[in-house]
Amino acid sequence: MLEMLSTSQFWFDVSKIIVIDLLLSGDNAVVIALACRNLPEAQRKKGIMYGVGGAIGLRIVLTFFAVSLLSLPYLKLVGALLLLWIGIKLILPEEEHGEGSIKAEAHLWGAIKTIIIADFVMSLDNVLGVAAAAHGSVMLLVFGLLVSIPMIAWSSQLVLKLIDRFAFIIYAGGALLGYVAGEMLIGEALFKPMLEGRLYLYWLVPVMCAVFVLAMGWWLAMRKASVVRAIDLVDGRVPAKLDAEL
Amino acid sequence: MKILIPVDGSANALRAVEHVIQSVAELKETPQLLLLNVQWNVAKANVKLFINQQTMDDYYREQGMAALESARALLDAAVLPYRYHISIGTPAEAIAQYAREQQVDEIIMGRQGQGGVKALLLGSVINKVLHLVTIPVVLIG
Repeated sequence: MLEMLSTSQFWFDVSKIIVIDLLLSGDNAVVIALACRNLPEAQRKKGIMYGVGGAIGLRIVLTFFAVSLLSLPYLKLVGALLLLWIGIKLILPEEEHGEGSIKAEAHLWGAIKTIIIADFVMSLDNVLGVAAAAHGSVMLLVFGLLVSIPMIAWSSQLVLKLIDRFAFIIYAGGALLGYVAGEMLIGEALFKPMLEGRLYLYWLVPVMCAVFVLAMGWWLAMRKASVVRAIDLVDGRVPAKLDAEL
Repeated sequence: MKILIPVDGSANALRAVEHVIQSVAELKETPQLLLLNVQWNVAKANVKLFINQQTMDDYYREQGMAALESARALLDAAVLPYRYHISIGTPAEAIAQYAREQQVDEIIMGRQGQGGVKALLLGSVINKVLHLVTIPVVLIG
């Protein structure tokens, strides 16, 4: 186990997992905080606590499910395709500020339900990404989990700020997801016979997948409105006071 | 004269407000003061699936009003008329956009104290604003 630590492949995998966790974890904390906003003050803390606890538990269960599921035939293929899509989605600009039809939960269990369902959906991205990057190594999986847990609990605008400063992070993240998707594709038992004697495919396919995600992301982003406008929320006015009032 | 003061609730921003209050007396006419707070758009596509817009806007409003509070208190105390505004987006871009829309003559900002690694990694809103606008930007240290 210790000699693992000295291989560059191990550290490469570790950094892949950290980046994936960073880019695909931020939303959870936002949902937890916002879902509990409409609760009475006294229940808010409880809601956040249960929400975070449930989300972490769910994340752990999902991760181990993902690993055992991915050993089944065809599922690696499905997982790889999903990852390609997740990578493309990462690069795409945000949708409009639209009016949704979701109702705000004013009860503790309603809020917790929202958090758990949200975490289920959002964790899929993260868990799939981490599982792909871990290549079935339990140690790496647990590491990925440990890194993502604080991100579930504490929202931070750090990632937003980093992306604002270095826009390429988004593209690097998209490319990385494409790359691990490619690695997963290569790992699909179905393709084993095709790989025989063609060692170059082990790097060519992941690289092609990374390029594919970048190209698709670029192309789709170009078709959307390029400038994201800031939204006006509040406009207030404090008039000059009349002299009589002074 | 229209003066925009971006406010994030920090002491830096307050210095800018204080500076404006002090310099108002020297100006011939009372300037139109605009306070602007920008809230980061934390609601990505995934969040929108589970949280309604109303809740999100309430959250932004609460955060924004809290950030504006101290600056407003200073202007209220100085009995100066002003407008305040909360935008959702990326700070520098939102500041530049609002300045353009309101045809502001000047932007006054408090210099950010952060240095070292943080500034290197996160950059500064001021730097970005300087690149985005064509009107004078005054920095108060």
